[in-house]
Amino acid sequence: MKFFFKLILFVFSLATIVGCKKSENLDLKGSTNSENTIKYASGLSINTFEGYSVVKVSNPWPEANKNFTYILKEKNGSIPDSLQKYPTIQVPLQSIVVTSTTNIPFLEMLRVEKSLVGFPHTDYVSSEKTRKRIDAGRVKNIGQNEKLNMEQLIELAPDLIVTFGIDNNNPMIDNLQKSGLKVLIQADWMEQTPLGKAEWIKLYGALFGKQKEAKTLFDEIVKNYNDGIQLVAAQKPTATVLYGSMYGDQWYVARGNSWVAQFMKDAKANYLWANVEGTGSLSLPFEKILEKAKTAKYWIATGSFKSITELKNSNPHYNQFDALKSNNVYTFESKLGATGGTIYYELAPSRPDLVLKDCIKIFHPELLPNYTFTFAQKLN
Amino acid sequence: MNNQKRNTILFILLTLGLILLFFVNISFGSISIPFKEIYTSLTGGQASKSTWEYIIINYRLPKAITAILVGMGLSISGLLMQTLFRNPLAGPYVLGLSSGASLGVAFVILGASLLPPFLSTILLSSYGVVLASTIGSSVVLLAVLVVSQRLRDTMAILIVGLMFGSFTSAIVGVLTYFSSAEQLQKFTFWSMGNLGNLSWSSVSILTICVGIGLLLSLFSIKPLNALLLGENYARSLGLNFKKTRLIIIFATSILAGSITAYAGPIAFIGLAVPHIAKLIFQTSNHSILYWSTLLLGASILLFCDVISELPALEIMLPINAVTSIIGAPVVIWLLVRKQKMIA
Repeated sequence: MKFFFKLILFVFSLATIVGCKKSENLDLKGSTNSENTIKYASGLSINTFEGYSVVKVSNPWPEANKNFTYILKEKNGSIPDSLQKYPTIQVPLQSIVVTSTTNIPFLEMLRVEKSLVGFPHTDYVSSEKTRKRIDAGRVKNIGQNEKLNMEQLIELAPDLIVTFGIDNNNPMIDNLQKSGLKVLIQADWMEQTPLGKAEWIKLYGALFGKQKEAKTLFDEIVKNYNDGIQLVAAQKPTATVLYGSMYGDQWYVARGNSWVAQFMKDAKANYLWANVEGTGSLSLPFEKILEKAKTAKYWIATGSFKSITELKNSNPHYNQFDALKSNNVYTFESKLGATGGTIYYELAPSRPDLVLKDCIKIFHPELLPNYTFTFAQKLN
Repeated sequence: MNNQKRNTILFILLTLGLILLFFVNISFGSISIPFKEIYTSLTGGQASKSTWEYIIINYRLPKAITAILVGMGLSISGLLMQTLFRNPLAGPYVLGLSSGASLGVAFVILGASLLPPFLSTILLSSYGVVLASTIGSSVVLLAVLVVSQRLRDTMAILIVGLMFGSFTSAIVGVLTYFSSAEQLQKFTFWSMGNLGNLSWSSVSILTICVGIGLLLSLFSIKPLNALLLGENYARSLGLNFKKTRLIIIFATSILAGSITAYAGPIAFIGLAVPHIAKLIFQTSNHSILYWSTLLLGASILLFCDVISELPALEIMLPINAVTSIIGAPVVIWLLVRKQKMIA
């Protein structure tokens, strides 16, 4: 028994050493020829070498137990043997299928939207440019993210399908790969910082051979975002903010380290749940919300409400909040595209500078007197 | 101790239990409010914090009353169905009423994008959901009534009800498949049941509906006792079986339809409470079962609501889950105990 235990330990140690060596190889190459060009996105790294680049996607979904490495191979580029085991994608891409609306703005900003040939549930796409292409039949509706239409995809034969997983079990992705299609898992939705989400434009830059354009565009966004932070630097966060809405008996508020809370912090607002550790949202009973936020000055409501009356009608208890009584309710989700997609969901991750500006306009209107909201809407 | 004396004591205990649970329900919630403040608010005084007063008068009180109405209504419709169909598995949902209500709500929530914007805005308000749910259950009710005119066999109606249930669930499934995450979320929350978002005007409407349903069921106590002996025997006793059946189906539909509309589909209560009542009172006499089911239903739902709030904790459990998690083991335990006693 003891012998077997030792044997297992030995094999395990050997495997670990070998494993470490392999990853060392990759890192070594990186340190000699190239460095990761990603600064804000925690789940993405791109190392560019001559003729190819190495893309790593880590933390692709909550509690993920694997990372993904992809080799983007340029024409005539050669890939070292040590990297042959990773999926290779021929770049620049000529055709692509993406499965999240958040990716559409990246394609448009890089002016490669014409290569988009398929999207699941095309009604979600709001961008006018891409909508025109959908209406003209140039972008095929390929089912839903969890159940993509395999036959249609095989016939479309895009150079790459960029999709996302939501947990460790993704039979759809396995099936796609088995049928010979190239699949890349992206995880912009897992990023919790505004600039982290937007930096994923660089992945599309790498996929379409437009690294420079992607960098310039992203640098501009960073500059705008930092300008926004500078604008409110001298302000005091006195505006108390209630966030979320009630679903059933539960009220969902954003946790303190979430994307939403970060915007409020950067816009110098006093978000009432800023101290709740963690990302994502927290469900709270109505009683707790009322006690804490009755006198909050602002209420950022979630949901596609169009007016105060609609909000009031949706729940009798909403009337209790001072923010509603003083007409200080805003929502980011009421602007919809031609076919019902929420513009904020689609565009906000790639344009955090605009979201921040909207937030500043809400909480410190005197600083941006002539600015009109991009996403936000005051409910009247 | 003779049966009558035992029953009287049990009724007194149940009534006291219901009153106690009502006050416990109002006293405990996710925030702690001193008892003195609760007493002041309930007796028309002014609590020291306006939020406390609002929570007690406009949140906890309507919620407790809703729990009582839902508990009573669902349990009684369960009792009626079990006797009418002479099937212990029958409940207010076997006729497909809840599925009909779900279908109505699904059309509104999940299919809103297919409707013209002005219509979807109206329907997506809280009244719209209630309206859709009532229309859904009424449509199924009408269909069942039409079928029941043609079918003599009560079991056949039961099966037709189940089929309507499957049919509507399938359509809900298709709608779900084509819905956005936000729509799905909304529908899921509705289907989890919810006692807390009712305004006083909604509570009044629910009270009227449940009142009518309970009154109709009260008139069917005698025929129900006759029905226990079988349909043919009941007929030989001079019972107008068709009329009785119509009244029972109508009462159940009003009860289940209005409750599902306002509180969502609440599991377990309708099926299990009549069994608990039968096990405690050990009788099949409906003049006893009616009142005991009424009291037990209200008490059990009040209790489940207290548990779902998990006093002093920041989380809440959906009422639908609590009713099943707490209720199912109780019924199993009671049944096993009864079997043992008989053996």
